[in-house]
Amino acid sequence: MRARALGYVLAAALVALTCAAPGLAHAATPSSADLVEDPTAWDGQTIEFTGEAIGEAMSRGDEVWLHLNDDAYARGTIEEGGPLSGYNSGHAVVVPPQMAERVTVFGDHKHRGDLVRVTGVFSAACSEHGGDMDIHASALAVVERGHDVTDPVATGKLWALAITTGLALLTAGAYLARRRPY
Amino acid sequence: MFRPTLDDHKVIGVYTGKVVLGVGMLMLVPLVTALVFAEWDTAVDFGIGLMACLAVGFGLQAICHTERELRRAQGLVVVSASWILATLLGAIPFILSGHIGGMVDAVFDVMSGLTTTGLYLIQDLDHVSNGLNMWRFVLTFAGGQGIVVIALTFLFKGVGGGIYQLYAGEGKEDRLMPNVVHTARAIWLVSLVWLAVGTGALTVTALALGQEPVRAVLHGLWTFMGAFSTGGFAPQSFNTVWYHSVVFEVLCIIIFVAGSLNFAVHWAVWTGDRAELKRNIETRSFALTMALFVLVAAIGLARAGVYPDAVAFVRKVFYVVASAHTTTGFATIYSRATVTQWGPLAMIGLIGAMVIGASSASTAGGIKGFRVGVITKAFVQDIRRMVSPDSAVVISRYHHIKDRVLNDATVRSALAISVAFLTMHALVTMVGVYCGYPVVEAAFEGISAGSNTGLSCGLLAPSTPDGLKALYTLAMWLGRLEFMAVFALIGWGWSAVRGR
Repeated sequence: MRARALGYVLAAALVALTCAAPGLAHAATPSSADLVEDPTAWDGQTIEFTGEAIGEAMSRGDEVWLHLNDDAYARGTIEEGGPLSGYNSGHAVVVPPQMAERVTVFGDHKHRGDLVRVTGVFSAACSEHGGDMDIHASALAVVERGHDVTDPVATGKLWALAITTGLALLTAGAYLARRRPY
Repeated sequence: MFRPTLDDHKVIGVYTGKVVLGVGMLMLVPLVTALVFAEWDTAVDFGIGLMACLAVGFGLQAICHTERELRRAQGLVVVSASWILATLLGAIPFILSGHIGGMVDAVFDVMSGLTTTGLYLIQDLDHVSNGLNMWRFVLTFAGGQGIVVIALTFLFKGVGGGIYQLYAGEGKEDRLMPNVVHTARAIWLVSLVWLAVGTGALTVTALALGQEPVRAVLHGLWTFMGAFSTGGFAPQSFNTVWYHSVVFEVLCIIIFVAGSLNFAVHWAVWTGDRAELKRNIETRSFALTMALFVLVAAIGLARAGVYPDAVAFVRKVFYVVASAHTTTGFATIYSRATVTQWGPLAMIGLIGAMVIGASSASTAGGIKGFRVGVITKAFVQDIRRMVSPDSAVVISRYHHIKDRVLNDATVRSALAISVAFLTMHALVTMVGVYCGYPVVEAAFEGISAGSNTGLSCGLLAPSTPDGLKALYTLAMWLGRLEFMAVFALIGWGWSAVRGR
C-alpha cells in the first residue's frame, strides 16, 4: 500500500516537472548584473526577474514604470541591521497599470518595499522607450509584502551629541571673550 | 623661502575657522530636513556634525585670535586648509549613518560632493534618509558655488588682496564686480534664481511623470542641485535612468549646460549683454569640442549598433556626451553599459569631453574651454607667424567679456595648468592599470575623478582598493582647486619646516 502511494507521488512529481519544464526553459532568471554585463545575449528573451520595488510606481497612461532592486538589501536594509553589501543593483520594468496596483509598499528609508517577481521580455535598447534598457513585464507577483522599517537613535549618539554641544558652547564662549572689532 | 611667523599661522587659522562655521551653517539644511521627515537618528547625526563644526570653527578663531589682515599668500592656504577641514567634518554624518564602508569612503563622498564630481561610495543609496540625501546635494550645490564663496557672502567684510585669493583659489578668477564680496553675492543671486526656476520646472515635470508630490519636490530640487552644480549626484542609484522621460532629460541638459557657463557670462547676460554668449571664447570652444566628441561617440555607437532608431541614438549620445563635457556625470545608461554597450571608441569620445570640461569660473571641472581656446589660438598664431613675412606683426585676439589681445603670459598659464591636468590624468590612469583594471576603464574612471565629472564605467565600487579611492579623492581635490591652492598649502608646510 505504502509503495503504491509513493509510486503515485513520484508519478505526480514527474508529470508536474514535465509540464513545468517548457516554462522554466523560457523564463531564465538572470540578475541585473547579468543583464547589464551581457545585454546582447539577453536581448529579446523572456526572463523572470525578482527584486524589491523601490521609490514609487510612475504611471504614464497605459503603462507604469517600476524599479526593482535585486541586491542584498532587498532581503534586509542597513536600518534593519543588514550588512553593508555594496551598491544597489536593479532594473527598470514596464508593467500595465492593473499589475502595478498589486505593489503597495515601495522601498525607501522607512520601508522595505514589496519583493516582486516579474516575467517579461528584456530589451537591451528598447525602441518604445528611447533606447532604455528595460523589461516589459507580462506577469507580476508579489513574493513577499514589504513593511515599515524603524531606525531608533542609539544611546551612544546622544552622548556624542551632548559632548560636541558642550565643546561648541565652550569654544563659542572663548571666541566671544577674545573677540575684538577688526 | 621665509618661514611663516606665528601671526601668519594665526591669520590662516582665523579665516579657516570662518569657512568651517560656514560649513556648519550648511548642515542646518539636512538637519531641518531630517526633523521635517521625522528621521530622528539622522537628525542626531547632523546635530553632532553641526556641533563639531561650531567647536572647530569657534575654537580655531579663539585660539588663533589676531587682528592682522589676510595677505595674498595666505589666501590660497586658507582655501586648501578649509577644504580639508570641511571634508573631514562633512564626513561625520556619512559615517554615523551606517551607509558607508569607512573613513576613506566617507571622505571620498564628501570630496566628490564638494568638488561637484558625483562619484560615490555610499551603499544602499535607495534606502538612505531624506536628511542624508539632502546633505549630498547641499554639498554638491555649495561646492559648485565654492564653499569659500559661501563664507565670503555671509561671514566676510574685507575686500583686500588676500580676500581675492580666497575667491580665486577655488578656480574662479573672473570678478563680476570690483568688490569680491559683492561678486560672491552676485554669484549667489544668479544661482538662486536658477534654483527657483529650475527646481520648479523639474518638480512639475516629475509630477507629470507620476511621482508623488513630496518626492517630486525633493527630486526636482535635488536633480536641479546635481545638474546646476555639474555635480552628477542623483537621488536614486539609477541616476537619471530613473525618469525615462525626454522632457526631464532636456530640462537637465539646459540646467547643466547653464551651470557649466562662466559666471561672468551669466552676469553679462543677466545685465543685458546676450551677445556675450555667442562671442565668448569659452562658449565657442565648448560648441566646437562638443560637436567633435558627439561625432566620435556617435561613430563608436554606430559601429556597435546598439540603438534601434535615430531618435534613441541622438537622445542617448547627446545627453551623455553633454553630461561628460559639462563634467556633470548624469547618465541615462547604466554604468557598466558604458563598457558593455558603448564600447571603447565611444568611451574615448567621452574621455575627451571630460578632459576638456566646460568653462572657467563655473561649477564645472576639467582643463576648461578658455584654456583650450587660448592654446588653439596661440597654435594658429604661430602658424600664421611662420607663413607671414619676417617684418609682419601677427596679433591674435579673443573675446572674453571684452576683446583682448592674446599675450604670452596668458598662453603660458593656460599651458601650465593643462599640462598639470594631463600629467595627473596619466598618473591616475597608470595606477588604475597597476591595480589590474583594463586601460580604457582605468582612464575613464580616473579622468572622470580628476576632471570632476562623475560618470562611471563601473570600475569604482566600495570594494575598490583603498589606495585607489584615496588617489581619486586627491585627484578630485587637485582638479577642483586647479592645483595652485593645493601647491600653496604644500609650499606653506615646506616653508614652515625648512624656511629661514
